[in-house]
Amino acid sequence: MSLEQFKNRNVGIHTYKTLDVGTPPNTGMEKFTQVVTRAVKGELFVGLWVVMREMINTLVKGDVHTVKYPFEKMPISPRYRAIHDMLRLLESGNYRCIGCGLCEKICISNCISMDTRYDEEQRKEVSEYTINFGRCIFCGYCAEVCPELAIVHGPRYENASEQRAGYSLFEDMLTPIDKLNLQQEYDGFGAVSPNADENITQTPLAY
Amino acid sequence: MGIHNSINTGKEITLTINGKVCKSTFGKTIITIARENDIYIPTMCYLTKVKPIASCRMCIVNVEGVEGAILSCQEKATDGAVITTDNEALHKERQNIMKLYNVNHPLECGVCDKSGECDLQNKTMEFDIKEQPFTTREQHRPIENWGHVSYDPALCIMCEKCVRVSTEITGDEALKLQFGGYSSTIINTKKDKNYASLGEAAAVCPVGALVDTKFKYSTNAWELEKIPSACPHCGGGCQMSYEVKHDKIYRVTNNFEFTSLCGAGRYGFDYANKNVSKDKEAFSKAVKAMKDAKNIIFASQITNEEAFILQKIKERTGAKLISREARAYQKFMRAYGSITGKNLYSGTLKGISESTAIIVLGTKIYDDAPIVKYHINMASKWHRARVAYMHPLEENEMKNIVTQFIKYEPQSEEGVSALLVEMLLRDIDLPIKVQSFLRDLDIGNLSAESNVGEEELESLRKSMLKKRGFSLVIGSDLYAHPRATNIAKILALVEKYTDFNVVCVPPAGNAMGVSLICDLDDEQSEGESIGYNADADFVLSALGDASRHDNSLDMPAANQQEGTITSNDKRVVPMNVSQPYGGYVLNDIANALGIHAEYTIDYTPNLPKEGGFKALAFDGLPDYFDTMGVEHRGYLLDNAKVAVEDTIEEVAELDGFDGAVIYICNPEEQFSAFTHICKSLEREAVLLGSSQFATIGKISDGERLSFIIDGVTFKRVFKIDTFMKGTIALNPTYDMGLSTPLVSSYRFSKVEIQKVGS
Repeated sequence: MSLEQFKNRNVGIHTYKTLDVGTPPNTGMEKFTQVVTRAVKGELFVGLWVVMREMINTLVKGDVHTVKYPFEKMPISPRYRAIHDMLRLLESGNYRCIGCGLCEKICISNCISMDTRYDEEQRKEVSEYTINFGRCIFCGYCAEVCPELAIVHGPRYENASEQRAGYSLFEDMLTPIDKLNLQQEYDGFGAVSPNADENITQTPLAY
Repeated sequence: MGIHNSINTGKEITLTINGKVCKSTFGKTIITIARENDIYIPTMCYLTKVKPIASCRMCIVNVEGVEGAILSCQEKATDGAVITTDNEALHKERQNIMKLYNVNHPLECGVCDKSGECDLQNKTMEFDIKEQPFTTREQHRPIENWGHVSYDPALCIMCEKCVRVSTEITGDEALKLQFGGYSSTIINTKKDKNYASLGEAAAVCPVGALVDTKFKYSTNAWELEKIPSACPHCGGGCQMSYEVKHDKIYRVTNNFEFTSLCGAGRYGFDYANKNVSKDKEAFSKAVKAMKDAKNIIFASQITNEEAFILQKIKERTGAKLISREARAYQKFMRAYGSITGKNLYSGTLKGISESTAIIVLGTKIYDDAPIVKYHINMASKWHRARVAYMHPLEENEMKNIVTQFIKYEPQSEEGVSALLVEMLLRDIDLPIKVQSFLRDLDIGNLSAESNVGEEELESLRKSMLKKRGFSLVIGSDLYAHPRATNIAKILALVEKYTDFNVVCVPPAGNAMGVSLICDLDDEQSEGESIGYNADADFVLSALGDASRHDNSLDMPAANQQEGTITSNDKRVVPMNVSQPYGGYVLNDIANALGIHAEYTIDYTPNLPKEGGFKALAFDGLPDYFDTMGVEHRGYLLDNAKVAVEDTIEEVAELDGFDGAVIYICNPEEQFSAFTHICKSLEREAVLLGSSQFATIGKISDGERLSFIIDGVTFKRVFKIDTFMKGTIALNPTYDMGLSTPLVSSYRFSKVEIQKVGS
């Protein structure tokens, strides 16, 4: 598609396809004939049979197509942006967060607030971290900017609450240490591309 | 300065930089002239306030007819030079320098404190360094914690700025370079001292190598809002900015390129009176107390506007205004002015730093006014100035710059001043009155009384021969001296008849502003008194929980209110609000008494003209340094003319003190009850003396003592300082809360020391 066509907002009808739906009945006789043909064809019983079949499948065979929502949940796309997760390093179990503050800076709805401190191991550690989900618009910038893939969007999409403001602390979002083996690597928004290795130029090493 | 350089200094020259014709004077470096003409030359190690360091080579320029590149930071421009600051070759060269700086520089910008205000980051971007083609073997260099600051050698780019500041500016001389090629590093030779002045060295660090330990990793530079202000502690009124996030002060920074800040200014910021709400009941009590008060006693930690409000209240209610330190300074300066004909001293801090000889009289300047000490140090380092330090106590911290200690007996300051003035005015034509005063001095007797040898002064005089540009620094020992007014008159002769740069360093706080604004009283009258940050029947206090009083109303601390203070450089400088405050202010009380003004700062243009203040509104006061480092902060006080009354009394004979003497002196970085609250400056208040003092006073190290000065009872632990000599002990007052401003008599005193069972 050329740019010219792209810019043409006068859609018109030149791209429409016409379906062959026959001609509608015009005279009274034609209309009568259509009703009788359809009634005698027995299409009603086809529909009734479908209902019957599904009822038997459900009640007798236990084969259902709907999801029992609060008890069952559909798998969700990794690119879906829901409540944030804070990941840990798989090997050591330490926080991935280095307290750089980029998520706080980039957040366009100003819902992230953090404090950091100089810890006993002479490293920067995040000491306070909150996200106000009442303000969060789930834009995904925080996950994208995070240099450590520490803050990511998880699959939890149920954010109904009784109040406008709803704060989550760092610990609330952090992978529990006993469930570290269940931590999924995030491949959604902001994750490294599958060909990331090819894009890295080597650091010079003289030794 | 070499001989050929000093010839023609000041001569008009014309040169061309990047095709622009620049007019300037001989003696200036190329970079200075370029900056005067808004021409940019990149630098990494250049720091305007110290001598050129010349370690980075980023400032290279080409001069027509000169082979190779030359360093614009240290090369003086010559007449007719044609200079190019940027071309392809220079750009390549600078790129290579940046690559060398970036060798093995840890890629931890994500957590580095300097990220966002880092010179290395900026210049790496500016010179478009996209990749690093070489590297070197990494070595193990652990982070060092030096107390107030910590040092990460891995991040250090060896620009030497910190070393120069530590040597040339603050004079602690703690930081040194350790050479060793790639393993060169900065070392702290005085780790045990934990100098707070190293904060200034950390401030100039272009990378994250030298940072404040308390601030380290606590937030990112870009999250902080800068609130420009002035330091209210020692009376220096130094430029500073509070850096605030979520209503909390994280750190204090300054315009380190042109000005300096001592440890108290940098680390003493958390003294705000927090969580205050409007207590109506206490307020009405306060209004009543103010109305009924016969005396208003106040500490000089107060803005000019507040002092003016108190003056207005005095005019309305007729109460006595008592602020003893400021009153002593006021009387001293009035006597001083009665000789010079001006209401202020003529000297400036810059004048001190440009002197070739400096006499310090009657102050433990290292503790009393750090910024003045810095300027003395600058003179010593830049001009090899002779520094004569006249005081009963030797100053260990200034041994490196003082060329001559002249010790005198406490209370003999009048005689010492007379001896000094006689020596300084010896070969000058003087009016007969002054001549006869000097002739009538009994030099031998004064010398014997004060213990200042004639030969000591003679050697000082000789050392000043053939030099030009002298300074005299006068301190607060003299202001509260029983003979203060006569001392002032004697010393004023120096300002009047010589071209000495005389600075009468005001006592801590805004004592100078108070002395110029308020009509202070000597004696309290009978009846109720109200105190502002001072102990009285009713107390208005900004000290918060630190000094809870039954009858009290909260007031905002200096960093919670707008207003101006007067600096010891005779400048009226603005302070801004950095911390929230929800309570009543002094202006509310004044309004309730019928002295109407919407805001406290409405009084700024009304400050008294006869004190030298100008009719300028607070919001219009500038607060910046321009590209050349010229200070545009507030305004300079006018040195108003006053009536001359030139009778000088004869030097009176005062009995000296024998035995154990106590000297009122706060330790370094401590000035008032406000610095006492600050967490980073915390230190135990002890009576500090020599072992000789212990012997004479029959006390031992660690013993608990009790004594009374000016009606304030001190309970102190005695500590022996092995560096001290003599029979004078140092007694701090900063920890006394509301009683601190009450201690204001002559700083030396002989008191009865009682032992308290431990």
